[in-house]
Amino acid sequence: MNPLMSLQDLRVEFDTRHGRVTALSGVSLDVMPGETLGIVGESGCGKSITALAMMGLIPNPPGHLTEGTITFDGEDITRAPARRMRQLRGGEIAMIFQEPMTSLNPVFTVGDQIAESILLHQDISRAEADKQVVELLETVGIPEPAARARTYPHQLSGGMRQRVMIAMAISCRPKLLIADEPTTALDVTVQAQIFDLMRDIQQKFGVAIVLITHDMGAIAEMTDRVAVMYAGRVIEQGLSDQILDDPLHPYTRGLIGCIPVLGRAAASADRLPPLAEIPGVVPPLHLLGKGCAFADRCALADDRCRADRPLLSAAGHGHPVACHHAGVPA
Amino acid sequence: MNQPLLSARDLEVSFEIGRKGLFGQPRLLRAVRGVDFDLMPGRTLGLVGESGSGKTTTAMAAIRLTPPTGGSVTFDGDDLLTLTPEAMRAHRRHLQVIFQDPYSSLNPRERVGAIVREPLDLMDVGDPAGRDARVRELFSLVGLRPDQMALFPHQFSGGQRQRISIARALATNPRLIVCDEPVSALDVAIQAQILNLLRRLQDEFGLSYLFISHDLGVVQFICDDIAVMYLGEIVEYADRPTLFSKPRHPYTAVLLEAAPSLARRKSAGYRRAGMVKGDLPSPMNLPKGCAFASRCPNAQARCREEAPALRDLGESRVACHFPLG
Repeated sequence: MNPLMSLQDLRVEFDTRHGRVTALSGVSLDVMPGETLGIVGESGCGKSITALAMMGLIPNPPGHLTEGTITFDGEDITRAPARRMRQLRGGEIAMIFQEPMTSLNPVFTVGDQIAESILLHQDISRAEADKQVVELLETVGIPEPAARARTYPHQLSGGMRQRVMIAMAISCRPKLLIADEPTTALDVTVQAQIFDLMRDIQQKFGVAIVLITHDMGAIAEMTDRVAVMYAGRVIEQGLSDQILDDPLHPYTRGLIGCIPVLGRAAASADRLPPLAEIPGVVPPLHLLGKGCAFADRCALADDRCRADRPLLSAAGHGHPVACHHAGVPA
Repeated sequence: MNQPLLSARDLEVSFEIGRKGLFGQPRLLRAVRGVDFDLMPGRTLGLVGESGSGKTTTAMAAIRLTPPTGGSVTFDGDDLLTLTPEAMRAHRRHLQVIFQDPYSSLNPRERVGAIVREPLDLMDVGDPAGRDARVRELFSLVGLRPDQMALFPHQFSGGQRQRISIARALATNPRLIVCDEPVSALDVAIQAQILNLLRRLQDEFGLSYLFISHDLGVVQFICDDIAVMYLGEIVEYADRPTLFSKPRHPYTAVLLEAAPSLARRKSAGYRRAGMVKGDLPSPMNLPKGCAFASRCPNAQARCREEAPALRDLGESRVACHFPLG
């Protein structure tokens, strides 16, 4: 099977007051039709830039896509003209963002906004579009869809707004849905509802999903495969079960170990042991050396790690990982 | 059992919001409705709930940062709500707060050393000459370098800023710290550092925490007792092992079911059972019966008619007509 979306060796640089910094380097990812790929990492690891690159939305200036290719459904869209990208975005590639309030226009009703996206991509009348709007709102589980289509975004709760965003995203039957931290701003019960909805929509329409998150729990529950990013590079990738059950990179192990896991030893009256920590913080991009970017925070780091950056390789392991000490217990 | 450090009885907070017409009655939003809790010295009481559940308002009313409209609060034997402003000020050094957002809770124009020193000056704690030494000591206590005292907040990362907030809260040697979602703005790796730090400081100084959070994983890690709140009321109150092994209120069960977990795998075809529908009802328009009835998977006719009171079920207290087994 051919991948639906494929990034090959992508490099993205930004002009900053510290000079040109590399935000993404050597990023290669495939998204297969109908699957969910997770991209996980801390703030500043490059996961959102990867999503923007997939949609051709790297702001230029200050951003520059300097190397690599992006293929969507067999078509090279690396340097596709703006007109073609506009056709794809909202059509075959849809997206939902973190904060639904800022992605909706406050002065138009939600029905207008969903209809706009339909009319841009399909040659139908406004009346037909309005009919589709009501059907879409019903699909995403909004009660009284006809009445809700006439409301403004501020009249809806955060969860309802995110449902509206999803209705807009699926309005043109996309093949790929890119979701950038879609539930970070929402309460846990609402997050659970949105995840359930995304899964239903994937089953119903067979859409592939790229889920960008910092939450390993979301990765477990939602994704088939996962790529872990650190300082602009993919440092480990594989099937979600492989990564969660047998993480090889010390950073991935740290990310999993530092979550206070619900249920584990909950019934014991004793205090839970301290959480695993990853010391320090993500290094600023303009201060990356030639060695492994994680070396300063890594308990296993030695001179080789500081001098020589490990490449992503599956040799000797079950899945690709970029570490000289992959799989060595800390 | 020894005396609780902080206890609230029938705590009420209402806000007046708008009027219907120019001469209409002001409308009341009842944010906290009859909340009771006891925080034992050296322990952590978690207030858990979603946005709008009243958890922050409850904590702020308990330390008189929001004026309560009813009920009583006792801190170490003193009735906090009847104290004169002077006497309240004297108590403030024992009641400190760590806020959620480390970006807006530190003055951007002040050096961080001065920020941590300010409570000492305001409450006149210790000898003025020794205060700088105390600030230096606080910096090392929370894992910052004393040479960073001359920097401004923007020169620190989110986790480091939260350490500064913690140092400021510790400055006056308080007995109680209200932690208002102290880690929810932080990356997971940093969150673990701060949670471990908070627990180490608690052991070292015998602090009591009133810990507000929506994240049950965090709560399970740090809290000893937990009050689950829904629309301004406590719906379940139990110690940690009881609450997590045997939730009795359907809302607690829903929260536990909704929380992401590494054990729930897509590959294993995980489907969530019995998730609630819809959102929190409006606090302006509270239903007659149980506030959770509109979303509850087991609601029956009685739930819509009659509001359940918090009652003792042995190990936990639950406000539900039909508690889970």
